[in-house]
Amino acid sequence: MEEKPFRASLGSGGSDTSRPDNDIRNLWTRATLSQSKLNVPLPNVCEDSDLEDSSPHSKTRRWRNEKARRDSDGGWDHGEYKDGFKQEELEDHSLLELQLRQESSLGSHLEEGDVDSKTEIEMSSSESSLNILKHTPHRAYWVEQQNRLPLPLMELMENEALEILTKALRSYRSAVGRDHFLTKQLQRSIEGLKRRRSKRLNLLAY
Amino acid sequence: MKLKQGSFLWYLYLDKLYCLLSVRNVKVLVEYFHLLDVHHNNTLNDVLFYHFLHHVTNWKRRQIMIVFNMLDWNAMGEIGFDQFYMLVCILLAQQNHLEEQFIFRHSRPVFELLDLEGELRIGADNFHMYNFLFNIKKQELKELYHDFDVTGDRRLNYKEFKLFTIFTMDKYQERQKAEKENEKKRKKEKKALLKKKTHQVNVSSKQSSFTNRSESRI
Repeated sequence: MEEKPFRASLGSGGSDTSRPDNDIRNLWTRATLSQSKLNVPLPNVCEDSDLEDSSPHSKTRRWRNEKARRDSDGGWDHGEYKDGFKQEELEDHSLLELQLRQESSLGSHLEEGDVDSKTEIEMSSSESSLNILKHTPHRAYWVEQQNRLPLPLMELMENEALEILTKALRSYRSAVGRDHFLTKQLQRSIEGLKRRRSKRLNLLAY
Repeated sequence: MKLKQGSFLWYLYLDKLYCLLSVRNVKVLVEYFHLLDVHHNNTLNDVLFYHFLHHVTNWKRRQIMIVFNMLDWNAMGEIGFDQFYMLVCILLAQQNHLEEQFIFRHSRPVFELLDLEGELRIGADNFHMYNFLFNIKKQELKELYHDFDVTGDRRLNYKEFKLFTIFTMDKYQERQKAEKENEKKRKKEKKALLKKKTHQVNVSSKQSSFTNRSESRI
């Protein structure tokens, strides 16, 4: 495994442009666009990464991405600091010097990268299943909440309606009399509202 | 017109662009309507309607009954939820100073409300009767009939009314812009004043410390 990067780095840098579809970055970006791509078996991904042209630029980019990913798992500040430091390094030193350093450690990093990609896929699927699990038990609760009105609002509405209807009852009694069926209907509604209010107050008292 | 603070309607709000209630607000309003609908007809009669408006607004009896007659477009002596919803939107538009926007967005229903006789024309009397509802001032009414009565019959048809709503909407937007600019100016002036004050305070404190030192030397 470690020999391949040596041979690859000695090769010319033309094939990176000739095979853009096999670039691992394209695979990952396509995978996020459609769910089916997430089921790409890992060996295929690894093969593609091996077949990928290993020009210095692509290697450094891949190495940078993998390092950044690992660092970000450790913590935001740590990863950001390391990324910033890496950027400064690349600006300061030449690419060849960096490549020499990388070639010695690239093999081990590649392996770690594979493991990382595997764990990433597993993590994403487990996360999605976790999300589903999180939401499913609460679905009934949320459905009920969607249909119900909040209790303080109900209380406000009922209190206000009670005041309005009590005043209207006086008008009814003066206009059509106490024994009219409309007056009695209104009286029954008022009593119903009062009962509901007293129930609520009793519950609050307990 | 002012809605009673802390009343149920006081907590509702219109969408500022379309001047309508959200679905959630409508749902709540339906519940409220059913609480008041004690006879289970899905309507409110004139007595219930009067007491409702008397409770939530500061309108007088005459104004309330004008509104009831306007909304009772079937002359049933009762108003249904559609009319109740329209009334609530008008109340909220007035409360939130969105009358121009409301009339612009809902020019057809407003025109039909104002057209009491169904002649497809609105006279100046109609506007006078309902100016407390849409907050149209006398001067604006004069301008309205002077500028927009294209046909010259001293009444506005729907197209003329629509032109009027577009014109008032433009005026409203210009007013909003001018108000925003004035606010910005005021903020800038305040900042400049604060800076001056702090600078003066610094200078005076420096001077006082200098005099204290010189006194101590003496």
